Amino acid sequence: MLIGIPLEHQRNDTRKPKDCAAEMSAHLATVATKRCKISFSRVFSYFAPRLRSYALKQMGNEALAMELVQDTMSNVWQKAHLFNAEKGSPSTWVFTIARNIRFDMLRKLQNRKEDVCSDDLWPILCEQTADTNDVPLDQQITLEQIGQFFEALPVKQKLVIESIYIDGKSQQEVADELDIPLGTVKSRTRLALHRLKDMLREYD
Amino acid sequence: MIKFHPNDTSLINFANGDLPFAEALMVSSHCDYCVECQHKLETYTEQLAEKHLSDKSSKAHNELLLSADAVNNCFSPIGNEQIAIDDVDDDSFLSMFDSIVTTCDEQEPPLGFSRYDAQKQYIKLEGKQFHVPETLRKYAEAMGAWSHLIGKVWQAPVDIGGGILAQFIYMEKGGGVPEHTHKGNEFTLVLDGSFEDGLSTYETGDYIALNAQQTHTPVSSADEGCLVFSIVDKPLHFTSGWAKFINPLSDLYFKVKIHR
Repeated sequence: MLIGIPLEHQRNDTRKPKDCAAEMSAHLATVATKRCKISFSRVFSYFAPRLRSYALKQMGNEALAMELVQDTMSNVWQKAHLFNAEKGSPSTWVFTIARNIRFDMLRKLQNRKEDVCSDDLWPILCEQTADTNDVPLDQQITLEQIGQFFEALPVKQKLVIESIYIDGKSQQEVADELDIPLGTVKSRTRLALHRLKDMLREYD
Repeated sequence: MIKFHPNDTSLINFANGDLPFAEALMVSSHCDYCVECQHKLETYTEQLAEKHLSDKSSKAHNELLLSADAVNNCFSPIGNEQIAIDDVDDDSFLSMFDSIVTTCDEQEPPLGFSRYDAQKQYIKLEGKQFHVPETLRKYAEAMGAWSHLIGKVWQAPVDIGGGILAQFIYMEKGGGVPEHTHKGNEFTLVLDGSFEDGLSTYETGDYIALNAQQTHTPVSSADEGCLVFSIVDKPLHFTSGWAKFINPLSDLYFKVKIHR
Protein backbone atom coordinates (compact mmCIF):
# COMPACT_ATOMS: atom_id res chain seq x y z
CA MET A 1 0.00 0.00 0.00
CA LEU A 2 1.22 3.43 -0.86
CA ILE A 3 0.27 6.53 0.99
CA GLY A 4 0.40 10.07 -0.26
CA ILE A 5 1.90 12.45 2.21
CA PRO A 6 1.66 16.19 2.45
CA LEU A 7 5.05 17.44 3.42
CA GLU A 8 5.59 20.12 5.94
CA HIS A 9 9.32 20.30 6.04
CA GLN A 10 11.38 22.04 3.44
CA ARG A 11 11.04 20.41 0.07
CA ASN A 12 13.75 20.23 -2.54
CA ASP A 13 16.19 21.20 0.11
CA THR A 14 18.95 23.32 -1.36
CA ARG A 15 20.70 24.20 1.85
CA LYS A 16 24.43 23.64 2.13
CA PRO A 17 25.43 20.75 4.41
CA LYS A 18 26.81 23.07 7.08
CA ASP A 19 23.53 24.99 7.22
CA CYS A 20 21.53 21.99 8.34
CA ALA A 21 24.16 20.30 10.53
CA ALA A 22 22.20 20.80 13.74
CA GLU A 23 19.01 19.44 12.23
CA MET A 24 20.74 16.40 10.75
CA SER A 25 22.59 15.74 14.02
CA ALA A 26 19.27 15.65 15.82
CA HIS A 27 17.81 13.26 13.26
CA LEU A 28 20.83 10.97 13.52
CA ALA A 29 20.49 10.91 17.29
CA THR A 30 16.86 9.86 16.94
CA VAL A 31 17.79 7.18 14.44
CA ALA A 32 20.42 5.89 16.87
CA THR A 33 18.24 5.79 19.95
CA LYS A 34 14.79 5.07 18.57
CA ARG A 35 15.46 3.51 15.17
CA CYS A 36 13.12 6.23 13.92
CA LYS A 37 12.35 5.83 10.26
CA ILE A 38 10.92 9.29 9.95
CA SER A 39 14.16 10.84 11.11
CA PHE A 40 16.06 8.54 8.82
CA SER A 41 13.87 9.57 5.91
CA ARG A 42 14.92 13.20 6.50
CA VAL A 43 18.57 12.24 6.57
CA PHE A 44 18.09 10.03 3.53
CA SER A 45 16.21 12.68 1.56
CA TYR A 46 18.92 15.19 2.17
CA PHE A 47 22.00 13.05 1.65
CA ALA A 48 21.07 10.37 -0.88
CA PRO A 49 20.79 12.73 -3.90
CA ARG A 50 23.98 14.50 -2.86
CA LEU A 51 25.79 11.23 -2.44
CA ARG A 52 24.61 10.16 -5.86
CA SER A 53 26.01 13.31 -7.38
CA TYR A 54 29.34 12.66 -5.64
CA ALA A 55 29.29 8.97 -6.54
CA LEU A 56 28.51 9.62 -10.21
CA LYS A 57 31.54 11.88 -10.50
CA GLN A 58 33.72 9.34 -8.71
CA MET A 59 32.51 6.11 -10.25
CA GLY A 60 31.30 7.43 -13.63
CA ASN A 61 28.58 4.81 -13.78
CA GLU A 62 25.01 4.94 -12.52
CA ALA A 63 24.89 1.38 -11.19
CA LEU A 64 28.11 1.69 -9.21
CA ALA A 65 27.08 5.13 -8.04
CA MET A 66 23.80 3.82 -6.67
CA GLU A 67 25.61 0.93 -5.00
CA LEU A 68 27.84 3.46 -3.28
CA VAL A 69 24.82 5.49 -2.18
CA GLN A 70 23.02 2.44 -0.87
CA ASP A 71 26.00 1.09 1.06
CA THR A 72 26.63 4.49 2.56
CA MET A 73 23.04 5.07 3.65
CA SER A 74 22.79 1.50 5.02
CA ASN A 75 25.75 2.26 7.23
CA VAL A 76 24.20 5.54 8.30
CA TRP A 77 21.06 3.64 9.29
CA GLN A 78 22.88 0.86 11.10
CA LYS A 79 25.72 2.81 12.65
CA ALA A 80 24.01 6.05 13.57
CA HIS A 81 24.99 5.41 17.19
CA LEU A 82 28.62 5.89 16.19
CA PHE A 83 28.00 9.42 15.00
CA ASN A 84 29.30 11.94 17.50
CA ALA A 85 28.27 15.53 16.88
CA GLU A 86 31.11 16.75 19.08
CA LYS A 87 33.66 15.25 16.74
CA GLY A 88 32.33 16.60 13.47
CA SER A 89 29.33 17.49 11.35
CA PRO A 90 26.87 14.95 9.96
CA SER A 91 27.98 15.73 6.41
CA THR A 92 31.59 15.02 7.32
CA TRP A 93 30.59 11.72 8.89
CA VAL A 94 28.47 10.70 5.91
CA PHE A 95 31.22 11.73 3.53
CA THR A 96 33.84 9.67 5.35
CA ILE A 97 31.61 6.61 5.16
CA ALA A 98 31.11 7.15 1.43
CA ARG A 99 34.82 7.77 0.93
CA ASN A 100 35.69 4.50 2.69
CA ILE A 101 33.18 2.50 0.68
CA ARG A 102 34.43 4.09 -2.52
CA PHE A 103 38.00 3.21 -1.54
CA ASP A 104 37.05 -0.44 -1.03
CA MET A 105 34.92 -0.56 -4.18
CA LEU A 106 37.69 0.86 -6.35
CA ARG A 107 40.23 -1.54 -4.91
CA LYS A 108 37.92 -4.42 -5.64
CA LEU A 109 37.35 -3.20 -9.19
CA GLN A 110 41.08 -2.85 -9.75
CA ASN A 111 41.58 -6.33 -8.37
CA ARG A 112 44.22 -5.10 -5.98
CA LYS A 113 45.84 -7.74 -3.85
CA GLU A 114 47.13 -5.67 -0.99
CA ASP A 115 45.84 -6.74 2.33
CA VAL A 116 44.26 -3.46 3.26
CA CYS A 117 40.77 -2.09 3.63
CA SER A 118 39.41 1.31 4.46
CA ASP A 119 38.89 0.34 8.10
CA ASP A 120 42.65 0.04 8.48
CA LEU A 121 43.17 3.60 7.34
CA TRP A 122 40.08 5.34 8.66
CA PRO A 123 38.46 3.32 11.43
CA ILE A 124 35.37 5.50 11.58
CA LEU A 125 32.91 2.63 11.84
CA CYS A 126 34.72 0.54 14.42
CA GLU A 127 32.59 0.23 17.50
CA GLN A 128 35.57 0.63 19.81
CA THR A 129 36.59 4.02 18.52
CA ALA A 130 33.50 5.74 19.79
CA ASP A 131 34.30 5.51 23.46
CA THR A 132 38.05 5.64 23.75
CA ASN A 133 38.05 9.03 25.43
CA ASP A 134 35.22 8.38 27.82
CA VAL A 135 35.93 8.31 31.51
CA PRO A 136 34.91 4.95 32.95
CA LEU A 137 31.30 5.09 34.01
CA ASP A 138 31.95 3.90 37.53
CA GLN A 139 33.80 7.11 38.23
CA GLN A 140 30.84 9.21 37.34
CA ILE A 141 27.77 7.61 38.75
CA THR A 142 26.47 5.19 41.32
CA LEU A 143 24.67 1.94 40.72
CA GLU A 144 21.58 3.40 42.25
CA GLN A 145 21.43 6.11 39.66
CA ILE A 146 21.96 3.58 36.89
CA GLY A 147 18.99 1.71 38.32
CA GLN A 148 16.79 4.75 37.87
CA PHE A 149 17.84 5.13 34.25
CA PHE A 150 17.37 1.42 33.74
CA GLU A 151 13.75 1.72 34.86
CA ALA A 152 13.22 4.31 32.14
CA LEU A 153 14.10 1.87 29.36
CA PRO A 154 11.37 0.44 27.13
CA VAL A 155 10.07 -2.84 28.53
CA LYS A 156 11.52 -5.04 25.77
CA GLN A 157 14.98 -3.56 26.10
CA LYS A 158 14.84 -3.76 29.87
CA LEU A 159 14.03 -7.45 29.71
CA VAL A 160 16.98 -8.18 27.45
CA ILE A 161 19.41 -6.12 29.51
CA GLU A 162 18.18 -7.73 32.72
CA SER A 163 18.62 -11.25 31.37
CA ILE A 164 22.11 -10.57 30.07
CA TYR A 165 23.63 -8.26 32.63
CA ILE A 166 21.83 -9.31 35.80
CA ASP A 167 20.99 -12.96 35.23
CA GLY A 168 24.19 -13.48 33.25
CA LYS A 169 22.55 -15.30 30.34
CA SER A 170 24.08 -15.41 26.91
CA GLN A 171 22.45 -13.54 24.05
CA GLN A 172 21.58 -16.87 22.45
CA GLU A 173 19.85 -18.07 25.63
CA VAL A 174 17.84 -14.89 25.77
CA ALA A 175 16.89 -15.27 22.11
CA ASP A 176 15.71 -18.84 22.72
CA GLU A 177 13.78 -17.93 25.84
CA LEU A 178 11.95 -15.03 24.28
CA ASP A 179 11.66 -16.82 20.96
CA ILE A 180 13.09 -13.93 19.00
CA PRO A 181 16.01 -13.85 16.53
CA LEU A 182 19.51 -13.46 17.94
CA GLY A 183 19.90 -10.31 15.85
CA THR A 184 16.96 -8.76 17.66
CA VAL A 185 18.53 -9.48 21.04
CA LYS A 186 21.73 -7.89 19.85
CA SER A 187 20.09 -4.79 18.47
CA ARG A 188 17.93 -4.38 21.59
CA THR A 189 21.01 -4.69 23.76
CA ARG A 190 22.82 -2.16 21.67
CA LEU A 191 19.93 0.26 21.62
CA ALA A 192 19.42 -0.05 25.35
CA LEU A 193 23.07 0.55 26.11
CA HIS A 194 23.12 3.57 23.89
CA ARG A 195 19.98 4.91 25.41
CA LEU A 196 21.48 4.43 28.86
CA LYS A 197 24.57 6.21 27.73
CA ASP A 198 22.54 9.10 26.38
CA MET A 199 20.71 9.39 29.69
CA LEU A 200 24.02 9.42 31.49
CA ARG A 201 25.23 12.19 29.20
CA GLU A 202 22.15 14.26 29.88
CA TYR A 203 22.62 13.62 33.56
CA ASP A 204 26.09 15.14 33.29
CA MET B 1 58.73 16.52 19.00
CA ILE B 2 57.68 15.48 15.51
CA LYS B 3 59.32 17.63 12.83
CA PHE B 4 58.64 15.75 9.63
CA HIS B 5 55.10 15.40 8.36
CA PRO B 6 53.32 14.35 5.19
CA ASN B 7 52.81 17.45 3.04
CA ASP B 8 49.41 19.11 2.74
CA THR B 9 48.77 17.63 -0.69
CA SER B 10 49.27 14.15 0.71
CA LEU B 11 46.98 14.88 3.66
CA ILE B 12 44.25 16.24 1.38
CA ASN B 13 44.54 13.26 -0.94
CA PHE B 14 44.44 10.96 2.07
CA ALA B 15 41.32 12.66 3.39
CA ASN B 16 39.79 12.32 -0.06
CA GLY B 17 40.63 8.62 -0.25
CA ASP B 18 42.88 9.19 -3.25
CA LEU B 19 46.31 8.31 -1.89
CA PRO B 20 47.96 5.09 -3.13
CA PHE B 21 47.58 2.52 -0.44
CA ALA B 22 51.22 2.23 0.65
CA GLU B 23 51.42 5.95 1.21
CA ALA B 24 47.98 6.00 2.82
CA LEU B 25 49.09 3.37 5.30
CA MET B 26 52.10 5.49 6.25
CA VAL B 27 50.09 8.70 6.57
CA SER B 28 47.55 6.91 8.75
CA SER B 29 50.34 5.52 10.96
CA HIS B 30 51.98 8.92 11.24
CA CYS B 31 48.68 10.37 12.41
CA ASP B 32 48.63 7.83 15.23
CA TYR B 33 51.54 9.85 16.62
CA CYS B 34 50.82 13.32 15.34
CA VAL B 35 48.06 15.48 16.79
CA GLU B 36 48.93 18.32 14.45
CA CYS B 37 48.23 16.22 11.36
CA GLN B 38 45.11 14.77 12.97
CA HIS B 39 43.71 18.28 13.28
CA LYS B 40 44.68 19.17 9.75
CA LEU B 41 42.99 16.02 8.51
CA GLU B 42 39.80 16.88 10.37
CA THR B 43 39.74 20.29 8.75
CA TYR B 44 40.45 18.97 5.27
CA THR B 45 37.89 16.21 5.63
CA GLU B 46 35.26 18.71 6.69
CA GLN B 47 36.04 20.93 3.71
CA LEU B 48 35.96 18.00 1.31
CA ALA B 49 32.66 16.81 2.72
CA GLU B 50 31.13 20.24 2.24
CA LYS B 51 32.47 20.37 -1.29
CA HIS B 52 31.43 16.88 -2.34
CA LEU B 53 28.00 16.90 -0.74
CA SER B 54 26.82 20.35 -1.75
CA ASP B 55 25.53 19.42 -5.19
CA LYS B 56 22.81 17.05 -5.96
CA SER B 57 21.65 15.68 -9.23
CA SER B 58 19.07 18.07 -10.58
CA LYS B 59 16.43 16.03 -12.29
CA ALA B 60 12.80 17.10 -12.07
CA HIS B 61 11.51 16.89 -8.56
CA ASN B 62 8.65 14.54 -7.87
CA GLU B 63 6.86 13.95 -4.69
CA LEU B 64 7.38 10.37 -3.82
CA LEU B 65 5.44 7.88 -1.88
CA LEU B 66 6.67 5.36 0.56
CA SER B 67 5.31 2.00 1.44
CA ALA B 68 3.31 2.17 4.63
CA ASP B 69 4.93 -1.07 5.76
CA ALA B 70 8.01 0.87 6.64
CA VAL B 71 5.99 2.93 9.07
CA ASN B 72 4.32 -0.05 10.65
CA ASN B 73 7.55 -1.92 11.10
CA CYS B 74 9.21 0.95 12.85
CA PHE B 75 11.01 -0.24 15.95
CA SER B 76 9.45 2.42 18.15
CA PRO B 77 5.82 3.36 17.67
CA ILE B 78 5.72 6.76 16.08
CA GLY B 79 2.14 7.85 16.31
CA ASN B 80 0.54 9.52 13.37
CA GLU B 81 3.62 10.96 11.80
CA GLN B 82 4.32 9.82 8.30
CA ILE B 83 7.42 9.09 6.38
CA ALA B 84 8.13 10.76 3.11
CA ILE B 85 11.12 10.54 0.89
CA ASP B 86 10.80 13.80 -0.89
CA ASP B 87 13.53 15.68 -2.57
CA VAL B 88 14.57 12.73 -4.64
CA ASP B 89 13.89 12.24 -8.26
CA ASP B 90 13.20 8.66 -9.04
CA ASP B 91 11.85 5.41 -7.78
CA SER B 92 15.23 3.91 -7.20
CA PHE B 93 15.70 6.03 -4.09
CA LEU B 94 12.35 4.94 -2.83
CA SER B 95 13.11 1.25 -3.11
CA MET B 96 16.57 1.88 -1.73
CA PHE B 97 15.13 3.52 1.37
CA ASP B 98 12.71 0.66 1.80
CA SER B 99 15.33 -2.00 1.49
CA ILE B 100 17.65 -0.24 3.91
CA VAL B 101 15.15 0.18 6.70
CA THR B 102 13.48 -3.19 6.27
CA THR B 103 16.34 -5.57 5.57
CA CYS B 104 19.18 -3.94 7.44
CA ASP B 105 17.50 -3.34 10.73
CA GLU B 106 18.30 -6.58 12.46
CA GLN B 107 21.42 -7.43 10.60
CA GLU B 108 24.49 -8.08 12.58
CA PRO B 109 27.44 -5.86 11.87
CA PRO B 110 29.71 -7.30 9.18
CA LEU B 111 32.52 -9.33 10.66
CA GLY B 112 35.38 -7.69 8.82
CA PHE B 113 38.83 -8.01 10.26
CA SER B 114 39.38 -4.68 11.85
CA ARG B 115 42.64 -3.39 13.15
CA TYR B 116 41.18 -3.34 16.63
CA ASP B 117 41.03 -7.10 16.61
CA ALA B 118 44.78 -7.15 16.41
CA GLN B 119 46.26 -7.14 19.86
CA LYS B 120 49.91 -6.97 18.94
CA GLN B 121 50.77 -3.76 20.66
CA TYR B 122 54.45 -4.51 21.05
CA ILE B 123 57.09 -6.10 18.93
CA LYS B 124 60.16 -7.61 20.47
CA LEU B 125 63.74 -7.94 19.39
CA GLU B 126 66.81 -8.97 21.35
CA GLY B 127 65.16 -8.39 24.71
CA LYS B 128 63.84 -4.98 23.71
CA GLN B 129 60.18 -4.19 23.40
CA PHE B 130 58.69 -1.56 21.09
CA HIS B 131 55.26 0.01 21.04
CA VAL B 132 53.37 -0.39 17.75
CA PRO B 133 50.98 2.37 16.57
CA GLU B 134 47.36 1.29 16.10
CA THR B 135 47.36 1.39 12.32
CA LEU B 136 50.23 -1.08 12.14
CA ARG B 137 49.09 -3.59 14.75
CA LYS B 138 47.35 -5.72 12.21
CA TYR B 139 50.57 -5.87 10.20
CA ALA B 140 52.78 -6.42 13.22
CA GLU B 141 50.61 -9.43 13.93
CA ALA B 142 51.52 -10.86 10.53
CA MET B 143 55.21 -9.97 10.47
CA GLY B 144 57.86 -12.47 9.55
CA ALA B 145 60.89 -13.43 11.65
CA TRP B 146 63.71 -10.98 12.28
CA SER B 147 66.86 -11.55 10.31
CA HIS B 148 70.17 -9.97 11.17
CA LEU B 149 71.66 -8.21 8.16
CA ILE B 150 75.08 -6.76 7.64
CA GLY B 151 75.78 -3.43 9.29
CA LYS B 152 74.07 -3.94 12.63
CA VAL B 153 70.71 -3.90 10.96
CA TRP B 154 67.77 -6.17 11.63
CA GLN B 155 64.92 -6.64 9.26
CA ALA B 156 61.53 -8.30 9.55
CA PRO B 157 59.29 -8.44 6.50
CA VAL B 158 55.59 -7.79 6.58
CA ASP B 159 53.35 -9.31 3.99
CA ILE B 160 50.88 -6.66 2.93
CA GLY B 161 50.31 -8.23 -0.48
CA GLY B 162 50.41 -6.58 -3.86
CA GLY B 163 54.14 -7.21 -4.33
CA ILE B 164 54.95 -4.24 -2.18
CA LEU B 165 57.81 -4.49 0.27
CA ALA B 166 56.96 -3.52 3.79
CA GLN B 167 59.29 -4.18 6.67
CA PHE B 168 60.25 -3.30 10.16
CA ILE B 169 63.90 -2.27 10.28
CA TYR B 170 65.88 -1.97 13.45
CA MET B 171 69.24 -0.22 13.38
CA GLU B 172 71.47 -0.85 16.36
CA LYS B 173 73.59 2.04 17.57
CA GLY B 174 76.00 2.73 14.73
CA GLY B 175 74.05 0.49 12.41
CA GLY B 176 72.67 1.65 9.10
CA VAL B 177 71.72 0.91 5.55
CA PRO B 178 74.26 1.67 2.79
CA GLU B 179 73.61 4.78 0.72
CA HIS B 180 70.90 4.08 -1.78
CA THR B 181 68.30 5.55 -4.06
CA HIS B 182 65.02 3.95 -4.92
CA LYS B 183 63.49 3.07 -8.20
CA GLY B 184 60.16 3.94 -6.68
CA ASN B 185 59.04 5.70 -3.53
CA GLU B 186 60.23 4.91 -0.07
CA PHE B 187 58.15 5.81 2.96
CA THR B 188 59.60 5.53 6.42
CA LEU B 189 58.06 6.14 9.79
CA VAL B 190 60.17 6.25 12.94
CA LEU B 191 58.56 4.09 15.60
CA ASP B 192 61.24 4.34 18.26
CA GLY B 193 64.63 5.98 18.75
CA SER B 194 66.23 8.15 16.10
CA PHE B 195 68.39 8.00 13.00
CA GLU B 196 70.21 10.33 10.58
CA ASP B 197 70.42 10.00 6.84
CA GLY B 198 72.82 12.71 5.79
CA LEU B 199 69.90 15.08 5.26
CA SER B 200 68.39 15.33 8.73
CA THR B 201 67.85 13.61 12.04
CA TYR B 202 64.55 11.82 12.49
CA GLU B 203 62.80 10.94 15.72
CA THR B 204 59.77 8.99 16.85
CA GLY B 205 56.72 9.83 14.75
CA ASP B 206 58.69 11.49 11.97
CA TYR B 207 57.50 10.71 8.47
CA ILE B 208 59.95 10.51 5.58
CA ALA B 209 58.89 10.22 1.96
CA LEU B 210 61.64 9.87 -0.64
CA ASN B 211 61.27 9.55 -4.38
CA ALA B 212 63.50 7.99 -7.01
CA GLN B 213 65.66 11.12 -7.34
CA GLN B 214 66.84 11.19 -3.75
CA THR B 215 69.69 9.26 -2.18
CA HIS B 216 70.23 8.74 1.51
CA THR B 217 72.32 6.82 4.01
CA PRO B 218 70.28 6.00 7.09
CA VAL B 219 72.33 5.40 10.21
CA SER B 220 71.42 5.44 13.86
CA SER B 221 73.71 6.93 16.47
CA ALA B 222 71.16 6.81 19.25
CA ASP B 223 72.04 4.63 22.21
CA GLU B 224 68.75 2.83 21.97
CA GLY B 225 69.09 2.42 18.19
CA CYS B 226 66.13 3.01 15.96
CA LEU B 227 63.08 1.07 14.88
CA VAL B 228 61.33 2.15 11.69
CA PHE B 229 58.53 0.85 9.54
CA SER B 230 59.33 1.20 5.89
CA ILE B 231 57.54 0.63 2.63
CA VAL B 232 59.30 0.60 -0.72
CA ASP B 233 57.20 0.19 -3.80
CA LYS B 234 60.21 -0.74 -5.97
CA PRO B 235 63.68 -2.17 -5.19
CA LEU B 236 66.44 -0.11 -3.64
CA HIS B 237 69.39 0.85 -5.77
CA PHE B 238 72.69 1.05 -3.97
CA THR B 239 74.95 3.87 -5.06
CA SER B 240 78.16 3.63 -3.09
CA GLY B 241 80.73 1.65 -1.20
CA TRP B 242 80.79 -2.05 -0.66
CA ALA B 243 77.09 -2.25 -1.29
CA LYS B 244 77.47 -1.45 -4.99
CA PHE B 245 78.47 -4.97 -5.75
CA ILE B 246 75.37 -6.36 -4.14
CA ASN B 247 73.05 -4.38 -6.35
CA PRO B 248 72.25 -7.41 -8.44
CA LEU B 249 71.50 -9.09 -5.13
CA SER B 250 69.73 -6.18 -3.59
CA ASP B 251 66.81 -8.48 -3.10
CA LEU B 252 68.54 -8.98 0.22
CA TYR B 253 66.85 -5.86 1.43
CA PHE B 254 63.41 -6.47 0.17
CA LYS B 255 62.79 -10.11 -0.28
CA VAL B 256 59.58 -10.77 1.52
CA LYS B 257 59.72 -14.10 3.22
CA ILE B 258 57.16 -14.83 5.83
CA HIS B 259 58.05 -17.32 8.53
CA ARG B 260 54.90 -17.86 10.46
